[in-house]
Amino acid sequence: MDVKRIKFERTGGFAGMRIAADFELDDLPEEQAEQLCELLDDVDFDELPENLMKANQVPDGFTYTITVESEEGQHTVTTSDISAPAKMQPLLELLYQIARQRARKK
Amino acid sequence: MHNHRHPIHCIVPPHMLKEIATNGTQAQRVIAIDTLKATARMRGQRIALADFAAATFRVEAVGGKDRIVYDAKNGSTLPGTVVRKEDDPPSVDVAVNEAFDGSGVTYDLYKNIYNRNSIDGTGMRLDSTVHYRVGYDNAFWDGQQMAYGDGDENLPVGERLFNRFTIAIDVIGHELTHGVTQFEAKLVYSYQPGALNESMSDVFGSLVKQYQKGQTADQADWIIGEGLFTSNVNGVGIRSMKAPGTAYNDPVLGKDPQPAHMKDYVNTVSDNGGVHINSGITNRAFYIAATEIGGFAWEKAGQIWYVALRDKLTSSSNFQQCANLTHQTAGELFGANSLEQQAVKKGWAEVGLTVDGGTTPPPPPGDGCLGSLLKLIGAAPSKTG
Repeated sequence: MDVKRIKFERTGGFAGMRIAADFELDDLPEEQAEQLCELLDDVDFDELPENLMKANQVPDGFTYTITVESEEGQHTVTTSDISAPAKMQPLLELLYQIARQRARKK
Repeated sequence: MHNHRHPIHCIVPPHMLKEIATNGTQAQRVIAIDTLKATARMRGQRIALADFAAATFRVEAVGGKDRIVYDAKNGSTLPGTVVRKEDDPPSVDVAVNEAFDGSGVTYDLYKNIYNRNSIDGTGMRLDSTVHYRVGYDNAFWDGQQMAYGDGDENLPVGERLFNRFTIAIDVIGHELTHGVTQFEAKLVYSYQPGALNESMSDVFGSLVKQYQKGQTADQADWIIGEGLFTSNVNGVGIRSMKAPGTAYNDPVLGKDPQPAHMKDYVNTVSDNGGVHINSGITNRAFYIAATEIGGFAWEKAGQIWYVALRDKLTSSSNFQQCANLTHQTAGELFGANSLEQQAVKKGWAEVGLTVDGGTTPPPPPGDGCLGSLLKLIGAAPSKTG
């Protein structure tokens, strides 16, 4: 997967604060970009179902929406804390950190 | 006892059994779950209980206050490793003790003031998991238990915005109240019913804190999540019930988005339709009613809201219906045109909702069919009013 651009959004949670980021892979420091690509490969991002939510909303749980644009096209996955597979957690953590860093710079 | 053939086998369709397995009393649930399992075995199926009744197996207890605190050790697997049980001495881990003590005070408020034995009313064990994931600035109720993150402990001190989520006892009361709502009004977690679900959790979360501190309505700060922010944030807490929209205003986090009046109601699909946003409106109605009544807010205003949550509100109730039903409840508990009922009316009026006190609302749906079935099988309905 030749990743070009990523959109990330986290909504809900106890505090109800939305945080989002929209960036080109080239915008990231090289080490972070490599880490992100590895994590996307680890979860076979392109193969994940678009809807990774459970039927019932968990009160105060986060909802995550991730869109990855690559040469091959674009794929969006929506998931939550309890429905995301364990192997996806490091990806969610890194994307949130990136979003935080970018919010701080603005 | 469970082997005899119960009439429930013959007359109750599976979808209704699932309803009973989720929402019935403990005795009803045991029967319903046994029946579902037996039915599934007969059909050669494996039954997925997780969505409706796993909690029944994992966290049932008979008797009084019973708590377990688990440690997820920064992983995402719930519940994690047991670190403190009901009769254990305090831990060296402050988050463990906060989760334990906070759920204890919440249990005490519901038991001592509202005569409710735990989340489900029948002594359900209170399970909490601390140290959930890494850099997790949140707490939630997963339908069976509470889970608490440590804030952004993984960032340099100067960049941290959130402390551990057990630090604020009202957060603990908030999460446990999601459990109470799940067993009572079952407010759907989106749009207005979802905002009411959130507001009920803030109301009783705040009451847990006021109860612990022995504060009257005018002594309380009515802040939700005081202490959650680090000193890097310009804010006093996550929400203000007294003045929604004023809890924080920060360069990184932005401004508290809560409206305080219906005229500022936020239409959004985000956050399940703004459940943590529009709850400010109903939070403020409670604050005004409680302050008008005076004294300890949990005694009268809390009793009115609790009875409405337990007996009146339904899964689809909206703000206007909540206003009408709390007003009606105040009349039933304290008398028509009593000071208490007038205070409730005033609370709603000040957020832009005029109570309709002239008509008696129809009985909540859901009790009718299921209730008569439960009577048929000789069990009392879960809502006894």
